[in-house]
Amino acid sequence: MVKQVQEAYIVAATRTPVGKAPRGMLRHVRPDDMLAHVITGALAQVPNLDPKLISDCVVGCAFPEAEQGLNMARIGVLLAGLPDTVGGITINRYCSSGINAVQIAADRIRMGEADVVIAAGSESMSMVPMMGNKVSINPEVFAKDENYAIAYGMGLTAEKVAQQWGVSREDQDAFAVESHRRALAAIDSGAFKSEITPLATTYRVPNLETGEVQLINKVLENDEGPRRETTLEGLAKLKTVFDAKGSVTAGNSSQMSDGAGAVIIVSERVLKEFNLTPIGRYVTFSVKGVPPAIMGIGPKEAIPAALKQAGLSQSDLKWIELNEAFAAQALAVIRDLDLDTSVINPHGGAIALGHPLGATGAIRTATLLHGMRNRGEKGYGMVTMCIGTGMGAAGIIEVL
Amino acid sequence: MIVFSINEETMSQTKFIVRKVAVLGAGVMGAQIAAHLVNAKVPTVLFDLPAKEGDKNGIAKKAIEALKKQKPSPLASKDAVNHIQPANYDDHLHLLKDCDLVIEAIAERMDWKADLYKKVAPHLGENSIFATNTSGLSINSLADSLPAELKPRFCGVHFFNPPRYMHLVEIIPCVGSDAVILDNLERFLVTTLGKGVVRAKDTPNFVANRIGVFSMLATIANAEKFGIRFDVVDDLTGPRLGRPKSATFRTADVVGLDTFAHVVKTMQDTLPNDPWHGLYKSPEWLQKLIAAGALGAKTKVGIYKKEGKQMFVLDPAKGEYVGSGEKGDDSVKDILKNPDIGARFKALRESAHPQAQFLWACFRDVFHYIGFHLADIANSARDVDFAIRWGFGWSTGPFETWQAAGWQQVAKWVEEDIKAGKGLSSADLPAWVLEADRGGVHFAEGSFNPAQNKLEGRSTLDVYARQLTPAKVLGEKSGLLGETVYENDGVRAFTTGDEILVVSFKSKAHAIGPDVLDGLNAALDIAEDRFKGLVVWQTEEPFSVGADLQSMLPAFMTGDWEAIETMIRRFQQTSMRMRYSQIPTVAATQGYVFGGGCEIAMHCDRVVGALESYVGLVEVGVGLLPGGGGCKEFALRAAQEARGDVLAALKDYFMGIATAKVATSAMEAQEIGFFKKSDIVVFNAYELLYVAKQQALAMAESGYRPPLKVKSFPVAGRSGAASIKGQLVNMLEGNFISKHDFFIASQIADVMTGGDVEAGTEVNEQWILDLERKAFMTLLKNSKTQDRIANMLTTGKPLRN
Repeated sequence: MVKQVQEAYIVAATRTPVGKAPRGMLRHVRPDDMLAHVITGALAQVPNLDPKLISDCVVGCAFPEAEQGLNMARIGVLLAGLPDTVGGITINRYCSSGINAVQIAADRIRMGEADVVIAAGSESMSMVPMMGNKVSINPEVFAKDENYAIAYGMGLTAEKVAQQWGVSREDQDAFAVESHRRALAAIDSGAFKSEITPLATTYRVPNLETGEVQLINKVLENDEGPRRETTLEGLAKLKTVFDAKGSVTAGNSSQMSDGAGAVIIVSERVLKEFNLTPIGRYVTFSVKGVPPAIMGIGPKEAIPAALKQAGLSQSDLKWIELNEAFAAQALAVIRDLDLDTSVINPHGGAIALGHPLGATGAIRTATLLHGMRNRGEKGYGMVTMCIGTGMGAAGIIEVL
Repeated sequence: MIVFSINEETMSQTKFIVRKVAVLGAGVMGAQIAAHLVNAKVPTVLFDLPAKEGDKNGIAKKAIEALKKQKPSPLASKDAVNHIQPANYDDHLHLLKDCDLVIEAIAERMDWKADLYKKVAPHLGENSIFATNTSGLSINSLADSLPAELKPRFCGVHFFNPPRYMHLVEIIPCVGSDAVILDNLERFLVTTLGKGVVRAKDTPNFVANRIGVFSMLATIANAEKFGIRFDVVDDLTGPRLGRPKSATFRTADVVGLDTFAHVVKTMQDTLPNDPWHGLYKSPEWLQKLIAAGALGAKTKVGIYKKEGKQMFVLDPAKGEYVGSGEKGDDSVKDILKNPDIGARFKALRESAHPQAQFLWACFRDVFHYIGFHLADIANSARDVDFAIRWGFGWSTGPFETWQAAGWQQVAKWVEEDIKAGKGLSSADLPAWVLEADRGGVHFAEGSFNPAQNKLEGRSTLDVYARQLTPAKVLGEKSGLLGETVYENDGVRAFTTGDEILVVSFKSKAHAIGPDVLDGLNAALDIAEDRFKGLVVWQTEEPFSVGADLQSMLPAFMTGDWEAIETMIRRFQQTSMRMRYSQIPTVAATQGYVFGGGCEIAMHCDRVVGALESYVGLVEVGVGLLPGGGGCKEFALRAAQEARGDVLAALKDYFMGIATAKVATSAMEAQEIGFFKKSDIVVFNAYELLYVAKQQALAMAESGYRPPLKVKSFPVAGRSGAASIKGQLVNMLEGNFISKHDFFIASQIADVMTGGDVEAGTEVNEQWILDLERKAFMTLLKNSKTQDRIANMLTTGKPLRN
């Protein structure tokens, strides 16, 4: 086992507001532009830091192709105006890509091979759809029955979890309503203000009457996903989409979204040299595989593994960002691990706030850090999620 | 100068350009007329009152939005609706000047219409035709509210609901209507909108509603008289009489009970001297329903109502709903099965069964009524029969029925009943009805016009020259079109002397069996030898329901798979010949264009499709896949359309076959890809053959050469099939499809992606045809497919297993 030589501290964390996809407020904002925006926003939180010291920028993205292809990380770095010496690497583990970016960046520092690394995530589901622009499945998947589940859509796996873990439609819908309630309360109280870097957008649209290009300027400050009109009765009327006889609906699933997030991670040496205030300390990360057919249960394996690595117990966690891919899987994980629901997603989750796939890990890291600090809390927090084709990921951060 | 003016005159008579139309009134009829206009690529402005709140075009916009949801769809293509421009009378009257035709379709109130006419008259274009879609108000009275210079350009144009689907439009001239204007309007209605025009006299409710509504009132009165339940009435007066399934009371619900009552009220108010005037009133139970807001289909409650899955029908005596679904008595139904109409009437009249008495009474009263009123309301008996057939969906008009049953005998029965006081009126039949030598009203030379005591021939308007086989009434000159060139048990091939060979199938529903395939091949041989082109056209719809499963049955029963495979191979070869023969081939489609029928059409150089062509490769319904080149054709088209990604181009085509998607119009068939964008849509099915021949001739005269055989084309390959199966697995596991559905769809995916080969590798047409045929045989040998076929052959319905 490789020994850690130094601690990795988080000194900045921010995100864009999250838009709905594919027809939401960020539909025309390119994911590489969002990335440059959050890099700039994070750096603005540490004006003392010399950007020349940044060695690399690790960016999570679940479908790194087309608008978010061409190694988006490096493009984002350059668009953000960072020195040519700063590297960029785009990484992908679907929905945990963002937290893996944090993990990789932190590990570079913990190994003593870097002093400043940016970790980020960016995803435009408006521009690059779920499963990418061209789905191509290996014929071998159908050669053996046991491989069929590789082809399962995420919604279908949620149905499988709902069936196996006996999560009722009513419970899923109630969970969704609570997610919206918490998210709206957070927005209304201004709880997200410190983590969001407002985004000024200019859309150029043709005015067919005048023959001119019309500029539509907006400054986006708030998440677009949460719905005030969501009710239990309303959700109960929605049809299931993944299983004719199932329980998973568009209303109790995460929303498709656009967004980006970034954190800056530094060594203790840089912390002191530039007189920076650490807001968090990276602790650990764990990933665990589960059967692809029930991918949503992944966190059940990853959460205890991460805690064990860190020598912590569940009760040490004061805030858990548990990605609500589907209410069905979130509830199954919560129930099986007997997690304390009061510390899970205090500001709502992906059902309300949206889930821009590979960006979510970075975005929710920002939420965890600012959320606890705004409450004046210190201690351990977690970002965890399930991952397509059957994995769970969990990262632990000590909020300072 | 003189030459110029003559030109101008001939132009105005034969050429009438409709750039744009305005429809005034965005009610159900107005909006649906607008929809049909844009179906026909006629940009349309739809007016209504300015909304009191919000967007002033709100009312028209809401009506346009509603069109998208109505069933059956008034819209023939997705895009059409965007060409209806919403407007209101406050802001947009200036738009009227560019509209060559303005159709008023507001509520049936003389005063409202008069007010509107005053408002719009100054804005109409100099040559615009102004027409009212009233269903019964006097055209001449309406004309009185118009400035004198507008009267020649005014008339009634009465569409039937739903206007896309009902063939009839009545044109009702006013006293001053200009003959040229009327002819131009008729040309537009017939060719552009595909309608069947009847010129009606300006009498209340015109022709179709006058008689159709009377028939309903007589049915209601006789039902009461003989104590027949409403559901039984509908069972007896629907398809058993060659009339729509909605029969009598269900029709009233669909029309809207308030609308029905309104039409009745018009008759009550405007026909005070009619011998049947006493009948022109809404029965008490109807008034009560309307007062309670039970207006029929639009309010979900009317004469019928549905609670859960159970239907209820009004019992007028009790004034409450009772469980519905009672059928007519078997003895009465048996009488109706007798093909001899005269014998049928005799049996009904002589039966003591109240249901039989009721039915005879209904017929008798209608015969009495049409005999009495023909002279006042219509120009000929043919117009009455067409009006009822096209406006009320009867397969045979009332005069035709009378004539077919034996004119003299029926006239005698009616006369006797009147004398015996059994009729709804005691008015005497007019003398012409009882003429001793009268054999009917329809003859080879024309149909009877009692007002002028002459036989009226067919309209000589040029537009009807396009109808090579117009609608006929019984008794009219009819017979096979053209001169037979070849005939076997499956087809008849003929020519009308224009160097085009036309081939028609003789099989039931024009199913394609060995005889039809032999016939098609013989026709291709002959056409290549002696004709300029080949048109596949049927004498009546459907174009074809597909391969003749019944003809495969003997081989199927004995397990003679080789014989079946030989037939499939023959089918594929025939399809390929349609494509690569030395003469242009044209499929003229209407009605169902299913399975093998679709495959034949897809392989022709061109399709000339009637608007109402319902097209699909529906083989999965019987557990099979298209085996006559349908899978191949879609795979080929996908490869030709793909910009580098064959799978992306293939996916929708795959879904089209795997879900047995049926296009509900020729335009939708173009959208899905069964028909090509360059194929022709014809709005009037009676013009189908004319246009198809024109297309074949045009191709021949343009130096036709068959397309060069496609050397090779790329397929999506085994990973393409895997990607499709990825979706299928989700449908299977999500309980959306059965295991057998999954198996069939996987077979289709394997065929369409070119089999077990690498993505992007090149194959030829025969490669896919071979895969198609092998997969067809694999499926045919599967017991679940066999169950599906058996079910279709015995019940006519697809089995989901």
